[in-house]
Amino acid sequence: MAIVVGTRRATWVQRALVYATLSALVVVFLFPLLWIAGLSLKTRMQTFADPPLYLWWPTFENYADVLGRSDFMMAFVNTLLVSGSAVGLSLCVGVPAAYAFARFPFRGRSFLFFALLVMRMLPPIAVLVPMYVLFSKIGLTTTRLSVVLAYATFSLPLVVWIMRGFFEDLPPELEESAWIDGANRYSAFAHIVMPLAKPGMVAAAILCLQLAWNDFLFAAVLTNNATQTLPVKMMTFSAGDSGVDWGGVTASGMLVILPVIVFSFLAQRHLVAGLSSGAVKG
Amino acid sequence: MGKAATRVMSLSARAMPSAAPVRRRFSADRWFVPVTVLPTFVVMVAIFGLPLLFSLYLSFTGWSPNQALLGGAYVGLANYEDLFADPVFVGSLGITFGYTAAAVSAQLAAGLGIALLLNIDLPYMRTFRTALVIPMMITPIVGALCWKLLLDPSHGVVNHWIGAQIIWLGRPDTAMLAVWVVNVWQSTPYVALILLAGLRSLPSEPREAAAIDGASRWQMFLHITLPLLKPYILVALLLRTIFEFRAFDNIYAMTGGGPADSTMVLSMFTYLASFVRFDFALGAAASWMMLLMSMGLCLVFIALIRRRDAH
Repeated sequence: MAIVVGTRRATWVQRALVYATLSALVVVFLFPLLWIAGLSLKTRMQTFADPPLYLWWPTFENYADVLGRSDFMMAFVNTLLVSGSAVGLSLCVGVPAAYAFARFPFRGRSFLFFALLVMRMLPPIAVLVPMYVLFSKIGLTTTRLSVVLAYATFSLPLVVWIMRGFFEDLPPELEESAWIDGANRYSAFAHIVMPLAKPGMVAAAILCLQLAWNDFLFAAVLTNNATQTLPVKMMTFSAGDSGVDWGGVTASGMLVILPVIVFSFLAQRHLVAGLSSGAVKG
Repeated sequence: MGKAATRVMSLSARAMPSAAPVRRRFSADRWFVPVTVLPTFVVMVAIFGLPLLFSLYLSFTGWSPNQALLGGAYVGLANYEDLFADPVFVGSLGITFGYTAAAVSAQLAAGLGIALLLNIDLPYMRTFRTALVIPMMITPIVGALCWKLLLDPSHGVVNHWIGAQIIWLGRPDTAMLAVWVVNVWQSTPYVALILLAGLRSLPSEPREAAAIDGASRWQMFLHITLPLLKPYILVALLLRTIFEFRAFDNIYAMTGGGPADSTMVLSMFTYLASFVRFDFALGAAASWMMLLMSMGLCLVFIALIRRRDAH
């Protein structure tokens, strides 16, 4: 533990042990993903080879198949539209509110804020059951709008929570001097605060985009064949009439997770704060 | 911790004077807070408040999908009585709690170990951290479907390596084990990241003092690092409990609640009742049982954050 504590320099044995343990962990944690990536580059024959092939000439035919399917591309467009709109809606609605939460004490502030936290934490299925009934009665089910609204149940609280923390960390002197110079609250917010808030908004947007992209439950219930998103589409590769389509599942799976992993690395600095709903600063 | 506390204190200190001296030359400024907060409030009521109230109403009626929105007849507690008379629901309570406890404790143990390793000051630690958090970023349904292929009875690599033909997802004991493994694989990095952030923020003085006093490594970990880390462990514990309690994606993709209802968690039960059997009244009652239980967890979480912000 001395090296953990940092009071003594690590001996080379200790270093080797640490690196060996970490390498073993990386192998364990990444093996499933690497194996699936490998399968996605195999032909049907190679996939079912017994014993499994460890070395082969990679083929991209599964990717060509998946990308050539119009329903997959449609699902891709749907996912982009739906998650993008949900994030846009949550930013437009949530950022001004987060600013008010951070700067102005008002009656019901803490109640409203904790209601938002509860909204983020409650089981999505519990909101989805009544939401589905209400939406179906007003003809909203199977539309992309219904999914956007459903996604706001997690992205709006996340935006408000992250942005409130961000605004609290901004020094208030800038807006205050703008107020003294005669700017009203609205223009001070629009011209002084918003430009400074851009990095926070980018982080919040990426985290929300990731959650929306990854959602399965809401989209599975609220969409049909024309409006379904990628994770829902992926399930059909696994549960089709002709059994599991190995090439389809593996190649589409890789295509679904690739953008999320890229997003996540972009937002890595903010990951912890977002994950813990701001309870731990990253 | 310290950072959060000072942030809150300095905020309240500076919010006071800033409001008073600025002359309100624009009467519209009086409406600034309502104008900024109202849209959020409206959205919250529309997509969260109203649905929850409606589901409370549903749970006391015999509503069926061909009836008008408020056309269900009042049936009192009949739906709740039906729930608790249903052995699958009662079983799912136990399964949900058992699954949550098993998943969260494994995530915490493994996450703490990984966080301690990653906190060691050696070259290339960032690379290891980056590699280890990848499972957390994978779309849950994709992760679960990939594991399903790895565990495939006839072509899966796991069966090939152990040289057996185990139908992992077809037997109650191994199905639960498989779902649990996938969950721990995917969520341990989350715990590790929170605890790593905690370890990085700990003051070094207590450990230096203990080292000078001749404390052993184990003593230092047990009596200094662990108590200081406790708030972060609590946050991770509560958050993971809240999120495992509502587990759905990996179970839906891998077992669908089976075999023989052995992986029937509450979310899965509610989903099947509502969207497969279309018994929305029963689904609403099950939802409200879930809501009440997770509301309790949330209140504990909120109390914890408030106490931390207060000092």
